[in-house]
Amino acid sequence: MPEVEYTTRVGLPREAVWDFVKDMNNWAPYLTGYQRHEVLSETDSIWTLKGDVGVLARVVKLKAHVTEWNGPQRVSFTLTGLNEQVDGDGTLEMTSSGEEVPSGARPAANAPTRQRTFLGRLLDALFRFFFRRMHGPAPVRALPGAGPASQLKFRLRMDAGGPTGPLVNAMLAPALLPAAEDLANKIAAHLENVDAGGGLSES
Amino acid sequence: MDWFKKKKRWDLETDVVVLGTGAAGMTAALAAQTSGASVLLLEKSRLVGGTTAVSGGVVWIPNNHHLAEVGIKDSREEALKYVKRLTDGRTEDALVERFVDTAPAMLSWVEASTPLRFKALARYPDYHPEFPGGKPGGRSLDPGLFDANELGPWKKSLRRSPVFGMTAMTVAEATDWGVFSKPLKLPFKLLGERYAKGLVCYGGALAGQLLKALLERGLEPRLEHVARDLVVEEGRVTGVRVEHKGQELFVRGRRGVVLACGGFEWNRALAAQFLGGVLTHPNSPPTNEGDGLKMAMAVGADLGNMSEAWWCPALAIPGEEYDGKQLHRGDFATRSLPHTIIVNRKGRRFVNEAQNYNDLMKAFFAFEPSAYERPNLPAWLVFDHAYLEKYALMTVMPGQPAPEWLQRADTLDELARLVGIDARGLAQTVERFNGFAVEGVDRELGRGESLYDHFYGDPDHRPNPNLGTIGKKPFYALEVHPGAIGTKGGARVNGDAQVLRVDGAPIPGLYAAGNVMAGVTGGGYPGAGSTIAAAMTFGYLAGRHAAAATGTQT
Repeated sequence: MPEVEYTTRVGLPREAVWDFVKDMNNWAPYLTGYQRHEVLSETDSIWTLKGDVGVLARVVKLKAHVTEWNGPQRVSFTLTGLNEQVDGDGTLEMTSSGEEVPSGARPAANAPTRQRTFLGRLLDALFRFFFRRMHGPAPVRALPGAGPASQLKFRLRMDAGGPTGPLVNAMLAPALLPAAEDLANKIAAHLENVDAGGGLSES
Repeated sequence: MDWFKKKKRWDLETDVVVLGTGAAGMTAALAAQTSGASVLLLEKSRLVGGTTAVSGGVVWIPNNHHLAEVGIKDSREEALKYVKRLTDGRTEDALVERFVDTAPAMLSWVEASTPLRFKALARYPDYHPEFPGGKPGGRSLDPGLFDANELGPWKKSLRRSPVFGMTAMTVAEATDWGVFSKPLKLPFKLLGERYAKGLVCYGGALAGQLLKALLERGLEPRLEHVARDLVVEEGRVTGVRVEHKGQELFVRGRRGVVLACGGFEWNRALAAQFLGGVLTHPNSPPTNEGDGLKMAMAVGADLGNMSEAWWCPALAIPGEEYDGKQLHRGDFATRSLPHTIIVNRKGRRFVNEAQNYNDLMKAFFAFEPSAYERPNLPAWLVFDHAYLEKYALMTVMPGQPAPEWLQRADTLDELARLVGIDARGLAQTVERFNGFAVEGVDRELGRGESLYDHFYGDPDHRPNPNLGTIGKKPFYALEVHPGAIGTKGGARVNGDAQVLRVDGAPIPGLYAAGNVMAGVTGGGYPGAGSTIAAAMTFGYLAGRHAAAATGTQT
């Protein structure tokens, strides 16, 4: 089952990040392939995403259920496919700068690890190139300056079920990390731009 | 051509310019280059492979040298008898003979010039195997699997099929594993491993191996080069005007230009003007917009077979996209499996649903003169829950909940009203069909009589692999749309793939192959891979002839 983790640095204290992240309505539109979302209750919502499966784009409806609301550190949620046999879970975790891991991507702790070959890294780069062509560029962010800062870590696991699960998981795997990067960076960019007096900018 | 007279300067020069990177174009480029010509291969899209890459990748070659390996005998005479019947008088006998005589030689040459090694599919029957000269198998050949990593940095540029591009299995494996009748028994773990490794199959394997052969010879396609006009000087086609990322380029082909840039199925105006049927749901890449046809017409090419396409019924899952357009999935098996029928708005069956996809579609276009309408459009696939329990419906595997895009009701009467089908007509049709299913004989339309029908049926279903009762609720309906895997009308050619004028003389310097040319099989579809075999054969002829042409040397 594909699982990824991505951490980025935000030039704001973690309380400011939490104020934004605690309301799913704020960041749901930053999900890759976001079409719409519907809030069912304080903890439940339905996300409609247009996701890439192999060479196809397909509309996927996921029910998100918040399982942990532990401000200002963490929000955890589960995902259940409503029109596809897929489920998963994720965590958005905020830490004050200096407490946690450096920025960047890495496999999740319990995800299978393997040595990345040159070819593997090249293919990842190519995949990201095409991902960007399909979903638009990554947000432009100024480097956080001196002052209070925090780390925003996004972990995401998706698992396709049913008999075709092994095949669908193989197709999902390359798409997860760019999706995790996208969400974390867009949240960070939004907060930094708002803090600087602007809106989210993309180029 | 005032634009060229004003400029009078070539940006690129070569012996032979080939437009399009499907099987026709890549074969033409390879043939021209191995015959000693320099070649520029231009592709409109950002991906290599054209319609071929999204296809089954099979080639249909009668009298081929692999038939002996599967113990099937064939002959030129049988092949000609069979193909000529299917052309329905639309193709000159000489051109059919040129195809039948050249295709086996082309196959041997391709295997000697590329990594491709085909296997005869002994159990894949011709599309009318019972016709004189038809065969129960062996003429359709499978390109096998291909490791796309062998393309190096070009791997990313190989077009993938939206349907076959994710399940790397050979056609022989698909048959042995029961891809249609036993979808749950497919080895999905193995398929996942193959996907992760970068293995491709079907059209991706064919296009990938042709591309590999070109790359090994130093011939890299130029992507996103959109050919707009042919340049004609003193009655000879000498080059092409191309747009590339907003820049205009004039590309000279000293010995010729080969049009191999696909059909016109995505050009609504051309399709409405020329096709004999109503095409709303093409199954091919959306780049097939008739560019080659328009260029050929502009220089006075004679046209042929314009009303025909490689017809194929299409099903659609709302929101599923390929190349930014709604994906139209060709339906090859659903309608052939037990527990399904296709009906019109009167609730009547009107065709053997298991008929080959090309000929099946022609029944959809029947015209009723008194009402001045096509009674079989729209049409629906109607089936029951027994189908969903056993067989796959596009992406829905057996046992999965019915998707929201499927119309469903607990009774046939309710289903008919929901969809807009005459309820009484549907009830009568189902009652009659169920009797046929129990008996194992379709006394009305002959479904399940042909070996071809059985190939797409369920071999374990008794008494007939194509007939199953419709009786287990809930009942379902899904619209079947008129689709095509490509058009097959276009520039008429001679036996060297030279494009002809209306007076029958060749247009010097201009060649055509693939779906841009008037199809050699007329309205017929002899067997799986007929499209690609003809495309490669005429690409081979075009490349060799163009390379040998004197052309313009100054």
